[in-house]
Amino acid sequence: MVKSAMPRQGWDIADKGGVEVSEPMHASSQYLSIPAILRRNAETYADKPAYREKDLGIWQSWTWSQAEREIESLAIGFLDLGVSEGDFIAIAGRNRPHFYWSMVAAQMVGAIPVPIYHDSAADEMAYVLDHCGACLAVVEDQEQIDKILDVQEQLSRLKHMIYVDSRGMRKYDHARLHQFSHVQDVGRSKRDELTGELEARRSRLDYSSTCVMLYTSGTTGKPKGVVLSNRNIIESSIASCKFDGLGQNEEVLAYLPMAWVGDFMFSIGQAFWSGFCVNCPESADTMQMNLREIGPTYYFAPPRVFEMQLTNVMIRMEDAGILKKRIFGFFMDHAKKVGPAILDRKRVGGWDRLKYWLGNLIVYGPLKDTLGFGRVRLGYTAGEAIGPEIFEFYRSLGINLKQLYGQTEASVFVTIQPDGEVRADTVGVPAPGVQVKVADSGEVFYRGPGTFVEYYKNPESTAKTKDADGWVATGDAGFMDGTTGHLKIIDRAKDVGKMSSGKMFAPKYVENKLKFFPDILEAVVFGNQREECTAFMNIDLNAVGNWAERNNIGYASYQELASHPRVLETIREHVEEVNLSLSEDPMLAHSQIHRFIVLHKELDADDGEITRTRKVRRGVISEKYEDLLGALYDGSREIYTTTEVTYEDGRKGSISATLKIMDAAVALDGKMEHMAAG
Amino acid sequence: MPDQLIFATEVFLNGLMAGVLYALVALGFVLIYKASGIFNYAQGVMALFAALTLVGIMKGQVPFAHLINAVFGTHVHYFGWNVPALVAIVLTMLVMVGLAWAVNEIVFKHLVNQEPILLFMATIGIAYFLEGIGDMMWGSEIKKLDVGLPQGINLWIDNVTYNAFGYGFFIDNLDIVATVVAAVLVFTLIVFAQYTKQGRAMRAVADDHQAALSVGISLNFIWVMVWSLAGFVALVAGIMWGTKSGVQFSLSLIALKALPVLMLGGFTSIPGAIVGGLIIGVGEKLFEFAIGPMVGGATENWFAYVLALVFLVFRPQGLFGEKIIERV
Amino acid sequence: MANGVRAQAAAGGGIVGDVVLEMENIILRFGGVTAIKDISFDIRRGEIRAIIGPNGAGKSSMLNVISGFYHPQEGQIWYKGRERPAMKPYEVALQGIARTFQNIALFEGMTVLDNIMTGRIRQMKSGLLAQALWKGKAEREETENRESVERIIDFLEIQHIRKTPVGRLPYGLKKRVELARALAAEPSILLLDEPMAGMNVEEKEDMSRFVLDVNDEFGTTIVLIEHDMGVVMDLSDRVVVMDYGRKIGDGTPDEVRRNQDVIDAYLGVSHD
Repeated sequence: MVKSAMPRQGWDIADKGGVEVSEPMHASSQYLSIPAILRRNAETYADKPAYREKDLGIWQSWTWSQAEREIESLAIGFLDLGVSEGDFIAIAGRNRPHFYWSMVAAQMVGAIPVPIYHDSAADEMAYVLDHCGACLAVVEDQEQIDKILDVQEQLSRLKHMIYVDSRGMRKYDHARLHQFSHVQDVGRSKRDELTGELEARRSRLDYSSTCVMLYTSGTTGKPKGVVLSNRNIIESSIASCKFDGLGQNEEVLAYLPMAWVGDFMFSIGQAFWSGFCVNCPESADTMQMNLREIGPTYYFAPPRVFEMQLTNVMIRMEDAGILKKRIFGFFMDHAKKVGPAILDRKRVGGWDRLKYWLGNLIVYGPLKDTLGFGRVRLGYTAGEAIGPEIFEFYRSLGINLKQLYGQTEASVFVTIQPDGEVRADTVGVPAPGVQVKVADSGEVFYRGPGTFVEYYKNPESTAKTKDADGWVATGDAGFMDGTTGHLKIIDRAKDVGKMSSGKMFAPKYVENKLKFFPDILEAVVFGNQREECTAFMNIDLNAVGNWAERNNIGYASYQELASHPRVLETIREHVEEVNLSLSEDPMLAHSQIHRFIVLHKELDADDGEITRTRKVRRGVISEKYEDLLGALYDGSREIYTTTEVTYEDGRKGSISATLKIMDAAVALDGKMEHMAAG
Repeated sequence: MPDQLIFATEVFLNGLMAGVLYALVALGFVLIYKASGIFNYAQGVMALFAALTLVGIMKGQVPFAHLINAVFGTHVHYFGWNVPALVAIVLTMLVMVGLAWAVNEIVFKHLVNQEPILLFMATIGIAYFLEGIGDMMWGSEIKKLDVGLPQGINLWIDNVTYNAFGYGFFIDNLDIVATVVAAVLVFTLIVFAQYTKQGRAMRAVADDHQAALSVGISLNFIWVMVWSLAGFVALVAGIMWGTKSGVQFSLSLIALKALPVLMLGGFTSIPGAIVGGLIIGVGEKLFEFAIGPMVGGATENWFAYVLALVFLVFRPQGLFGEKIIERV
Repeated sequence: MANGVRAQAAAGGGIVGDVVLEMENIILRFGGVTAIKDISFDIRRGEIRAIIGPNGAGKSSMLNVISGFYHPQEGQIWYKGRERPAMKPYEVALQGIARTFQNIALFEGMTVLDNIMTGRIRQMKSGLLAQALWKGKAEREETENRESVERIIDFLEIQHIRKTPVGRLPYGLKKRVELARALAAEPSILLLDEPMAGMNVEEKEDMSRFVLDVNDEFGTTIVLIEHDMGVVMDLSDRVVVMDYGRKIGDGTPDEVRRNQDVIDAYLGVSHD
């Protein structure tokens, strides 16, 4: 591991334009597939826990050798169902050992696992199942089975479906439906008969075999199937485990969608390579409690989760007694002052250390325990920019929270922050073995051991994204920070536009600044080819709702709260604060928000307005709310609008509202000036 | 250590011991209040009644001797045997269970869903009835109660403290026993309430009658059980107080001391009754020790009530009571 | 969701057995008012039986008669082939008839787990002394009870609130906890008093699914009262329709829907 900022060896940083290429790094692994690593673990870590799941109120656990038996039984069950090498097996469920086993069992029989977001709508699921031509689907329960049965006419290649939870399934026609435990039973009973075939297939796996295919949600167009080889996953796992010193004694809580590359990397790639235990929560709703019970040492969460937890802490402190509040405030201030420095092993005075130690005893320690972070040694966040305050809050508590920048196409890792070089506004240095360059257009490119093989059945997209030399376009715009050598991401490359004055328009940057306020859940900024910037907002029902309760403001719905004059006024204050800070940066002063609307509904993945990973779909939104967008620029005071909404079960309805268009004051060189009304 | 501090420490310890006895009585109140919402004014009298019965059985006294003699012109007073303490305690407990059953069967069964004030009035009635019947059954003279509990100064503590401070503390052995017994009692009650089926049923009844009925809990059974438990606690309190200061009718007045204890601890909390009792016990002894001489003494008579009053103003739910939340 | 499930269930056909409860010429009066006027109907093992009718039709009174909260002045109740004498509600519960309440009757100060555990009173046999010693049988019994309670918690998807005091839960979840407590008794008959009252569309669909799944998985006989016609017709095998204390219809949802008296009663009364 390299500690100094520069120069770095083993990987290199390419600046704009000029590229220096050194010998690509190859970790030498004698294990060429995940099933091969499983065999190693079943021998080396035979009695160490590999999986835990809370079921019926009790943590059940499986050791590595038990896990191998479970996976083998399942794999033989797959053989019995007629799965051939090269077939695709779709997997849709929340994080449970069964589904992790299904992925590895699929690999074991030479098939390719395709995890799918289990909360996706029937037609999204149908598209993926059809596109990969899955012959088998392993799903959680009746809900998923119903979804697939709804669209089965389109899926000519789907032969069998396996479900884990038998509830409500008794009356279904079981010609093509199988219960997970029965498949394993068959596997166990046919072990003698089919082990030979299984071993033969297992031995044919190598570095170039496909390890997994993951569909990217994509902000535009249909999802694409990213093919990742064993080389991609195993080498990325080895490098990243070494980078952060992950060992066999880590504990992780698997709770992020299994269809997301990050979960595959953490819960299969790194977990198998290091031999650590993957813990599965009892249900999505118990995640926070299970986090406390397990006390993971290694934890990953998108910024939203960290933000939500911080908001909850703050809400609880609002309700606390005056003495508690004082103590909390005193020690948190102290933590902010010296916590990050202590974490980075910098010099801190003895008195400050003593105070920090005391604070840890009565505030930070208990707080970390409640959050479930009591034992977290290493935490990562990625996917979106994280608010500097949120980031600093966790670091000041002594949690080594870092950022990384990654993509499905990169097997996660593009850049990563080394210990001691952690900052809120960068995403770190190129990951081990990865090369990064920034094109003249501002777009970031990379190549490395994790670089994907191809988009399945989509050579045009593959060619558009990955060039002959293996450089992959990220679609993100950014730059290398001259002094630190860290990458800074500002926005999606295609979203960086120009205002009519010709100046750069980077909406994401402004949106993130707005979203750092707990009251604002989402913001969509407009201004491309326009003279000034405007925005749509969603308030955070949790934070604003709590505020409303404390101030005796009654409300029956999101819509009602979002249109309350005092709420609008508060949001205006936030916008003006953002304007003030933007005005201090000469590159961005022109992107201040002049007018905004607080939307009457929350942007929703079911309506296609945001992706399942909560990325804003700008195009969809500006089309759908064309009338509102017009009103932002034509000087209207208010506008009446009707919007179609989709409920969770797929039914449609509509809501109407009269929305106020709010003006915000803009600033000049860090000073507020009042604009003429109208 | 300065003398004043040594004396204060001794006063403090004695206060703790006195507090345990207050707490024992308060505990009986809490049990019944929690399970049935009844403020049982008769709790103190139950302790008296239990102590009277215990003494009577031990000494082989003939119950209702005066009445029998007056009606039949006989002169029976004693059966002429002595019953061992342990057997007598078990028999007394049976009497208390019988009393619980009778109280429920004759009074409370007919007052289901009545106003709390009515139920409270009923307990006042029960208190005077019990006092009267106790008098009739066992006579009204002061009796000595000795079930074999150690009494008198604890010499070991006296020695140790004498060697350490040059002043021997006076701690009564009986107070030490009372403390241990109270601790065991509270622990048992909490385990009972939390972990047994009957305890769970008791909490269920305390929470919602209709719901309790719908899962198959007999309200009458639970009420008899709760009154029996309160009877048991009364018996324990009766033994302690009776041993300490003799079984006499003023024993029923200790119930009044339990009131401020409840205001401090909260009417619904078992730990609250204990802590409240200790605070009152220590508070009044220390107050008397420190302030008493300046105001001419006898502060013990009113200190507890003033303290309770202060609590009523600032924390009406008591230290451990369920928070009174007003939804607006 | 409910519609999809229903289609499947109907296709499979419920397993309905003998008569388990029979109400015969029940008459219930409160002072001068007659709430139930000579009603007879039966409930078969394994079916979902609905009692519907406009507000004030006497549905809740009927449920209270079955669960022993009210005692009819006239008529007989036959339970499992025997005539049932007048009983206290807790005795009825111990006989295996569990219920929920329209206005929710839970132990607000106790945790969800404790609430559901109270539902097991019927299955708890060991006495106080055995429990005091906390050995062998009592311990095994507690574990068994806990296990079956956990299965219900899992079934109704309330793991996340297991240790939460009921008083802090929102309305929809309370309804679910109440259902869980009733289920914990492993009842022969489960009485649901307006299980969907006061719920939004999504919660109603969840509850419908749970009711169907309970009937399907555990084979529980369910009697439910609702005034939301749509929900009832989707859920039940047979329906009794009441109006002003009289029975005006009895049969499958389709039969009832075609019944002229029922149509009149529902057209004559505004319902929501």
